[in-house]
Amino acid sequence: MNMTGIIFSEMYSDALNSFTHDRNMAAIPFGGRYRLVDFVLSNMVNSGILNVGVLAKQHYHSLMDHLGNSQEWDLNRKNGGLQLLPPFATEDTSGSRGKLDELRNALDYLETISTTPYILLADAYVLCNIDYRAALEDHIASGCDITMMATKETEASQIDFASVMKADASHHVTSYALDCPAKPGDFASMGHMIISRELLINVIRDYTSRGIYDFLRDFIQHEFNRGRLTINLYEVETKVLRVRDVNEYFQSSLAILDDDISAALFRGDRPIHTRVTDEVPAYYGLDCQVERCVIADGCFVDGRVENSVLSRGVKVGKGAVLKNCIIMQGSVVGDNASLENVIVDKWVTISDGAQLKGLDSNPVVIRKGVTV
Amino acid sequence: MFQRKKECIAMLLAGGQGSRLYVLTQDTAKPAVPFGGKYRIIDFPLSNCVNSGIDTVGVLTQYQPLELNDYIGNGQPWDLNRNWGGAHVLPPYTQSKTESWYKGTANAIYQNIPFVDRYNPEYVLILSGDHIYKMDYDKMLKFHKEKGAECTIAVMPVSMEEATRMGIMSTNEDQAITDFEEKPAQPKSNLASMGVYIFTWSALKQYLIDDEADPQSENDFGKNIIPAFLKDGRPMYAYSFEGYWKDVGTLDSLWDANMDLLDPSDPINMRDPSFRIYARNYSAPATRIGSGAKVTNSFVAEGCTIRGSVDHSVLYTGCEIEEGAVVVGAVIMPNTIVRKGANVSYCIVGEQCVVEEGAKIGERPENHLDADWGIAVVGHKKTIAAGSVIKPKEIV
Repeated sequence: MNMTGIIFSEMYSDALNSFTHDRNMAAIPFGGRYRLVDFVLSNMVNSGILNVGVLAKQHYHSLMDHLGNSQEWDLNRKNGGLQLLPPFATEDTSGSRGKLDELRNALDYLETISTTPYILLADAYVLCNIDYRAALEDHIASGCDITMMATKETEASQIDFASVMKADASHHVTSYALDCPAKPGDFASMGHMIISRELLINVIRDYTSRGIYDFLRDFIQHEFNRGRLTINLYEVETKVLRVRDVNEYFQSSLAILDDDISAALFRGDRPIHTRVTDEVPAYYGLDCQVERCVIADGCFVDGRVENSVLSRGVKVGKGAVLKNCIIMQGSVVGDNASLENVIVDKWVTISDGAQLKGLDSNPVVIRKGVTV
Repeated sequence: MFQRKKECIAMLLAGGQGSRLYVLTQDTAKPAVPFGGKYRIIDFPLSNCVNSGIDTVGVLTQYQPLELNDYIGNGQPWDLNRNWGGAHVLPPYTQSKTESWYKGTANAIYQNIPFVDRYNPEYVLILSGDHIYKMDYDKMLKFHKEKGAECTIAVMPVSMEEATRMGIMSTNEDQAITDFEEKPAQPKSNLASMGVYIFTWSALKQYLIDDEADPQSENDFGKNIIPAFLKDGRPMYAYSFEGYWKDVGTLDSLWDANMDLLDPSDPINMRDPSFRIYARNYSAPATRIGSGAKVTNSFVAEGCTIRGSVDHSVLYTGCEIEEGAVVVGAVIMPNTIVRKGANVSYCIVGEQCVVEEGAKIGERPENHLDADWGIAVVGHKKTIAAGSVIKPKEIV
């Protein structure tokens, strides 16, 4: 495979601060048994990518713990494999000043992977199941400097996209805007782009030496607007879910209850890999009522659960009622508790009889480890 | 050369055909038979080893070894991928002078004396891949050392009726074994051998060599080696085990052991996080429960999709239960599909089967005389045609 994957693990960490108190964005739990990073990482592996660098700057212990020696993704390789790329500690390492700042820490890594002429830069906030090989072929055939992977929007969006593009019939980008909502027919970025290794290294060196760190604004948009950069657009037609703020996390989490979306995301021929935890299978009790749910291993369900996602090892007590809830690993919902539109982080205890109700557009979030 | 040394290694006899499991072991060895949603029988002894601090396990295979070899791989799921030690699959092989299959359990170990000697162990733990139980072998090893035994046999009390089908020990007040009978008509005790032995390797090695030289011997631990130890008055002790232990060598006992997982008191103690049972994992997503589904009193592994009604059942990884299907008292092995309107009751259905629309497998016991009723069993990779009926006790 002549492409290396670089994963950015921090994008939208701030907007998701309810979950990123002690983990970065890539390590946010999703879909009952996954972390956000599992999707982009599995896509890379399933596309034959053997070299993956993961950029992490803050709170990355949880991510490191999750990735371990990366053997679940088959990336514990003698040649290539997964490499975590935290920054070198210097006087200016606090906070990220932009993607180029993060990539600067990966310069040595990018130099060593000289056998792969192409680099896939990928953000971990997108959930989808795609084959990057087709995108790479498209990039090479286009002859453009950079390929942006994007979805064609059919309705006006509420949340800003990092970049919004228009393209001509041959999928060459004709306009490029940053941090704005998309209109129907626009192409919205998904934080995935393909660029040659040589160009990327030159850009990192050149720009960071001048103290310029914003990859999208100062490099892509700036150069594109001056006609010095050609952008190819690769349209992703399969379902793409994004997680850019708490509400979108809630909506995307519930979206996997839809059969079609689930089938697009979890394909038998391209499995999403994750860390194995050796939980026992889930037990459904005598009084259990479950409908339209995703339930992971190790759960113990004796209440009524509807339209919800239960992660590994969640306990739902007798008489408890859950509706539109996302319950993360190891949390306990006490007997007769009632929860609606609630996101419960890991290792939370909901007391017997507790009642919590959020709005479907504004869920209640219970932080990791607390007792309610 | 500096000789490294392991205190204790395990030899797991996994070559058994398991003929009393009929269709379930037609193409696979008994230890590879799925159990409890996400496990295979062999996960229990392998996990017990790791949880007991034993990091070197020789797995002796012979009958239909392909699936088992594949499953064990480099031993990583059980943390048995070690630089020095770990899991090793040991099939019979051609030697310079002889060429033979494993003739019996003792012969299987005899043929692998060079493997055991490589680790130069003080003790060897002999296990079989036929039982569901959680056991800390380290406690048994401590007992073996305290007693100064050369052979320790794990035993547990059984009913007198069961005793007639098992190897039965008589012991004195010091737990020394005074008598051993294989399947006695009139049992003198109710202490049954669990098929778990610890031997001091130097003693066992000599007995294996002597046994091999005896042309009359069946080269079997129960029939030859243990009686020989007893006859010679070697120090032999019975280690009493308390806890769940079940031989899953028959279709009925396999079904029963699966149903024990539904017992709220958790007799197998599956949920103890400090003593986990490990298994190879296949990256299936979490289980999906559809609108209109009903799931009660059931044990369900990951990757299932349930749209029908499931009660009092164990569903293994990747099963699909379509709308209107009714599953009661069933053990359904990995990746089996139960189509719309099918009725699957009191039965075991093997891996990768398709139960077509409206088919009926098994029945509830209520409407039958005891003698007429039994669980129905469908082997692996079978298709049960639409509308067809598999009666109780039937095996297909």
